[in-house]
Amino acid sequence: MTVTGQEITAYVERVRAALADLPPQTRDELTEDLSEHLAEVAAEADGSLVDRLGEPEAYAAELRAAAGATGPASARSLDQRAATLLAGARARLRATDRRIGPVLGYASASEYLRLLRPAWWVLRGYLAAMLITVVTTGGSFGLLPRLGGSTLAALLLLAVCVVASVWLGRRTPQLSRWPRLAVGAGTGVLVVFALAGFVSLDDEQRNWTGGGHEAIAVQQPHPPDFYDSQGRPLLNPPRLFDQDGNPIWLGHPACDEVLYRSDGQPVRPYPYCPEQTPFRSAPQGSAPGAPAADPTPSGTPTASASPDPSGPVPPPTESVPASPGPTS
Amino acid sequence: MRSSVRCVDTTQLLKGVLDLAVLAVLREEDGYGYDILRRLREAGLEEVGDASVYGTLRRLFAAGLLTTYVVPSESGPHRKYYSLNAAGRDQLTRSGKLWRSFATTMDALLDDRGMAA
Repeated sequence: MTVTGQEITAYVERVRAALADLPPQTRDELTEDLSEHLAEVAAEADGSLVDRLGEPEAYAAELRAAAGATGPASARSLDQRAATLLAGARARLRATDRRIGPVLGYASASEYLRLLRPAWWVLRGYLAAMLITVVTTGGSFGLLPRLGGSTLAALLLLAVCVVASVWLGRRTPQLSRWPRLAVGAGTGVLVVFALAGFVSLDDEQRNWTGGGHEAIAVQQPHPPDFYDSQGRPLLNPPRLFDQDGNPIWLGHPACDEVLYRSDGQPVRPYPYCPEQTPFRSAPQGSAPGAPAADPTPSGTPTASASPDPSGPVPPPTESVPASPGPTS
Repeated sequence: MRSSVRCVDTTQLLKGVLDLAVLAVLREEDGYGYDILRRLREAGLEEVGDASVYGTLRRLFAAGLLTTYVVPSESGPHRKYYSLNAAGRDQLTRSGKLWRSFATTMDALLDDRGMAA
């Protein structure tokens, strides 16, 4: 044996030096049992290692090529691994795309989604108009854009945004990298805005019938009326509070408007609005139909004993046919 | 200016099929590095380089197609034996089929144009 262990070690060191640019782990894997291998080579025949295998640098180059990055599963850099992962994810996505396609009646799901693209452009224009509304007026997300309270201006804004979005949609594929990225980022902002807006709109819609004083006013068949000891309606009715100390509002707060319940009955603003008392037309002090302290009202006993706070106050003449008359 | 047209030489061809050749010689019997190199040369691939075979073995091992075990030797250094596992046999079958169909195509192509073997 003419090759010494020292020569083998030196040869391996030079090979490793020539592979110094590789990641340490890769280099270690490549040269892990190189000295054993070289010892085998040395044991089989005569001559120095360099004579039989060439310079260590050439050996390293050949080793790198044979085991190197071009191979299917060699030790690879992080970049390549990331690229492989990405390619794998893309392939899975494509497979899913093709699997879903037939369910929708198309070769692939993406083919179907491409058909929907113009519709998305219109929606994107609408969302852009809504975003402009919210940003400029500080208003909340509604169903239609608003611009300074003018419906015409708002519709104009909507039209401009939709046309611009469609125009941009048709141009986007031809844009260069940065403008395209900008369009993508803008679209992302719109999507987030739309999701937030729709969620808050939905919340508002649900909560409107779930609580608040308007709801009480609408649900109550009639708020109770309040009278003083003389049976006169109170112009300053007492305030009611619940067990938590929150005021209970009865009657609807829009004093000047008439609201109707679903069964067509008007909702009275009284007592929320005391001046809207239903007895306003009555002569001062004695409301017909109200429980009267005066035992001799002009009305019939039945009318005074059972006041009907829900219906319109019966005029005093109503009792006339009920009383025995000369006609019978 | 260098021409990109090259004459076909064995080194070039070997690059494409060395994996298959190594898998093939390991199919009959497990072997250690130098042993595999010798078998390849005996089979007619005289130009195959030591580093190429060694590198290919490392790569196939890293790819999970080979398993290794060490056999102590009394006369010389310990030997690391490589052996085909199931994945390696599978790969050999597939690559072998691909090579045969490719070779057949090339043969037919050359035969059609009157090239003697």
